[in-house]
Amino acid sequence: MSKQRSRQYKARIDQALAAPRLQETLHRFADAYLASRENAFAGHDFQALRAGIAAMKDDVRDRREEYLAQFTRNAEAAGATVTLARTAEEANAYIVSLARQRGVRLVVKSKSMASEEIHLNRALQEAGIEALETDLGEWIIQLAGQRPSHMVMPAIHMTKEEVAELFGKVTGKVEPAAIPHLVQVAREQLRQGYLNAGMGISGANIAVAETGGLALITNEGNARLVATLPKIHVALVGIEKLVPTLEDAHRVIDVLPKNATGQLITSYVSWIRGAVPCGEGRKELHIVLLDNGRGALAESPHCRDALRCIKCGACANVCPVYQTVGGHVFGHIYISAIGIILTAFFHGLENAAELVRACIGCRACVAVCPSGIDLESIILHLREVLGEEEGIGAGKALVFKRIMRNRALFHTMIRTASLLQKPVTRGERTIRHLPLFFAGLTEWRSLPAIADRPLRDQWSGIAQRVEKPRYKVAFFAGCLNDFVYPELGRDLVKVLNHLGVTVSFPREQNCCGVPALYSGDRETATVLAEQNVAALLAGNPDFVVTTCPTCTMALQRDFVDLLRDHPRWAARAEQLAAITIDVSRFIVEKLDGGSMLQGLAAPEKVTYHDSCHLKRGAGVWREPRRLLADSGFELVEMAHADRCCGFGGSYSFTSHPDIARHILNDKVVDIEKSGATCVAMDCPGCLMQIRGGLDKQEKPVRAAHTLQLLAELLPPEKS
Amino acid sequence: MTGAFLAALEKVGGVAVCCGTLQQAVACLAERVRGPLLLPPSPSLQRLDLAGQLRAAGVEVVSADFHQRAPAAGAGLTGANFAIAATGTVVLESTAEATRLATTLPEQHFVLLDPRKIVADSSAAVPLLRQLHARLPQTFLAYITGPSRTADIERVLTIGVHGPKELYVLLCEGVSDDLLES
Ligand code: SF4
Repeated sequence: MSKQRSRQYKARIDQALAAPRLQETLHRFADAYLASRENAFAGHDFQALRAGIAAMKDDVRDRREEYLAQFTRNAEAAGATVTLARTAEEANAYIVSLARQRGVRLVVKSKSMASEEIHLNRALQEAGIEALETDLGEWIIQLAGQRPSHMVMPAIHMTKEEVAELFGKVTGKVEPAAIPHLVQVAREQLRQGYLNAGMGISGANIAVAETGGLALITNEGNARLVATLPKIHVALVGIEKLVPTLEDAHRVIDVLPKNATGQLITSYVSWIRGAVPCGEGRKELHIVLLDNGRGALAESPHCRDALRCIKCGACANVCPVYQTVGGHVFGHIYISAIGIILTAFFHGLENAAELVRACIGCRACVAVCPSGIDLESIILHLREVLGEEEGIGAGKALVFKRIMRNRALFHTMIRTASLLQKPVTRGERTIRHLPLFFAGLTEWRSLPAIADRPLRDQWSGIAQRVEKPRYKVAFFAGCLNDFVYPELGRDLVKVLNHLGVTVSFPREQNCCGVPALYSGDRETATVLAEQNVAALLAGNPDFVVTTCPTCTMALQRDFVDLLRDHPRWAARAEQLAAITIDVSRFIVEKLDGGSMLQGLAAPEKVTYHDSCHLKRGAGVWREPRRLLADSGFELVEMAHADRCCGFGGSYSFTSHPDIARHILNDKVVDIEKSGATCVAMDCPGCLMQIRGGLDKQEKPVRAAHTLQLLAELLPPEKS
Repeated sequence: MTGAFLAALEKVGGVAVCCGTLQQAVACLAERVRGPLLLPPSPSLQRLDLAGQLRAAGVEVVSADFHQRAPAAGAGLTGANFAIAATGTVVLESTAEATRLATTLPEQHFVLLDPRKIVADSSAAVPLLRQLHARLPQTFLAYITGPSRTADIERVLTIGVHGPKELYVLLCEGVSDDLLES
C-alpha cells in the first residue's frame, strides 16, 4: 500500500515539475504577496498581534466546552438551530437530511474549506441535490472537477485560457480569455442560482461566543447573497473558529486579511446572528459546529497549537516547496505546512504520510504565521510518529541505530568512505560525476569529496597561541564541518585566536542527531543528544560555538526537548543550550569582532545568503552581514536572501532531490542577479548545495562560509 | 478623521463625494444612478424625505416589493450607522432584508454618510457593535469596504464579481449623528 502510495506521489511531483507555468505563477505571486503584506502591516506590531491571537486561541482551546455552550445558548436564543457534528459523516448526514426534508433541489455555496474537508458536495450530489459553488475560484475548480490548490485562492493554478474554456462549456459560446469579461460571465451565470436555490451554505471565519453570531470575511460578496436570498442558511463551522468576545473577533479581522492577501480589510465582513428576516417570515439558520478531529488535536500536546490557525494561507505563500509543486501535490484537502498537520488529524495519518516528508524544514512558514504556530516542530513530531508506525526504511534504520549511535564505528566508516570515493574524485575536492545509479546526485550540483583527514584528526596539529585568552570555547563541528570541510575548523581557530579566544575540540562529539530526528528516529537522536551533552560540557567551556545552524538548533532546542524527561540529562541539556552560540553572533556580541576586523577587506562585492535555521531558528542574520560590512566588503543584497537554498540534508539527497534542485536553481538565479562575485553564508549544508550548483552551472561566483572570508583577511598562521 | 477615511476609501476603490448640502447629494445621485434605485427603510433617510426629493429630481425610487424589484434594479441607497477611518469601512446594520437586497444585488451602492459618524478604528467600533447586538434580537451587520472584488483568476484584481461594482460614499453633514441608526 505505502509503496504504491509513494509511487503515485512521485508521479504527481514529476507532473508538477514539468509545468513551468505553474511555478512561474506561484513565484510571482509569492513576490507580490510579500510586498503587499509588508505594506499592510506597516505601522503595526506583528509580533504583538500574533501573540494576541495565540493567547486568545489557546484560551479557547482550554475552555472550549464553556465557550461552545455559551455560543450555542446565544445563537439559539436568537433563533438559530445549533448542532455539533463529531465527524464528517454526521455533518453531511445532517445537512443532506435537512435539505431533503425541506425539498431543496439546488444549494448555493460560498467558499468553505470545512465543506471541502467533509466532501459535502459529494454527499449532496449522491442525494440528488445540486450544489453550486459561487465563489469565483471555487466555481472554476468545480467546473474543472478539481479540488482547491490554495486555501484562499482555490484556482491559483489555472490560467485565464483554461478558465475561458471551462466557461465556454457553460455558456455554449467561445469566451474570450480576458479576465474582466470572464468575471462578468461568472456574475451573470451565478446570479440566477442565488434566486433559485432553496438553501445557502457558507462557512464562517469566526463564531463569537459572546453574541452567538458568526462573522464571514469575504471579498466577492457572494457569501452575503448566499446568506440572504435562500430561505435556509446553513453555516458549517469548525469548532476552532470560536472566539470569546467581539474584541477577540477583531483580533482576527485585524490580521487575517493583511496576512492572507495584504489587504487592510476585505470588502465585506458580515456579522450574522440568528434568524434574520427573510421574505414574509424569518430565515431558517442552522449552524453545524464541526469537530472531525479537532477535539483530538486539542488533546495532542505536541500538535495542538495547530488549532490556532486562522486559515490565512500564508504558510503556503512563502513555502518554497509549495512554490515549486503547488497545492495539488503539497496538500491533501488542506495544503502546505498547516495542511500536513490538519490532514493528519482530519483525514488520517495515512493521507499525510508523504506530505510529512515533503516539508524541507526551512521555517519560512513559522516566520509568517500570524498565530505563532511552530509548524516545523509539529511536522517533525508527526514524522516521528509516522516513523514509529510505518518504520523509516530498513537502510536508514540500520545506519541510525547500529552505526551512528556507535561513534567510533560511524567515524571509521566515513574514513573508509573517503578512501572508497578516490576513483570518482580523481583526487579533486569536488565530485562532478558519480558512476551508475548514484549519478543522479551529481546531475545538478557537484558534491564535495569527503576530506582525506577529518578535522578531528588534524586538530592536534593546529597551533593556538593566545596570551591571556578572553574566553575558552569548545567547538561543535557537526559532520559536514568535521568530515567534509575541515578547513573551516582551521579558519575558525585562526579568527577566534586573533580575537583572543582559544578553541577546543571535544573528541567524543558525535553527529548532532538531526538526520535521525528529521527521518523520524527519535530514539537514536536521544542517544546522540546524551553523547554530545556529555562531550561538550566535559571541559567546562565558557561557550560552545557552532558553524552549522542546524547543529545550533539541535544543541539549543532539540537536545532540551529530547532529554526533557531524562532526569540525569535534562538540566545539563539546558546548560548546554544556554552556552551554545553561533560563531558569527559570538564574534559580534561577545568579542566586538567587527571593530577588530575593520577595513581589512578589499571592497569586493559580496552577497549574503541567509540559512533557514540560522535566521529563523537562531535569529541570526544581522551579525554576519555586519561582520562582512565592517571588514570592508561591499555587501549587496540579493532578492529572496532568506529563501531556502534547497539543501535540507537528506531532502536533497534521497527524499526529494527533484524539488531541491528547482529550489537551488532559484537561488542561483538570485545570486547571479545580485552582481556579486562572492556569496557568503554561515552553514556548511548551504555551502555544499550552493557551491555545488554554482560549480555545476559554471557561474563565476565563489561561495564561501563567512568564517572563511574573515580568515583570509588575517595574516597566515605561523607554524 | 474625515481625511483618513477618504484616503482609505480611495485606496480600496470606493468613490467619495463631499456634498455641502443635501440638495447637492440628491443632485449627485440623480446624475449617477443607472436604473431604478432601491431605497430600503432607513430612519435618517426617511426623516429627510430622501425618497420624495429623489423622485422630484427624476429618479425612479423603489421603496416596496424589494424581493421582486431587486434583481433588475440599478442601484441601492442606504445610510450608514457609522464608518471606520483606518480602513475606509462603512458599517451598516442590515438586518432588514430590504437593506441587504439593496446592497448586494444592484451594480451601484450609494451610502449617505454624515462625517460626524466616522470613528478611528476597529477598537472604537467594538462598543458600537455590542450596543447594536444588545438592541436587536437578530442582527445582520455589514462592514463594507469598497466594491466587490476578486483576484481568483491569475490574481488579477477585478471589481464587481457578485456585489456592487461601484461604491459611492456621499459625505453630507446634517444627515444624522446617531451612531446606532442608519
Ligand atoms: S498555519 Fe498560520 S500561516 Fe498557515 S494558514 Fe494557519 S494561520 Fe495562516
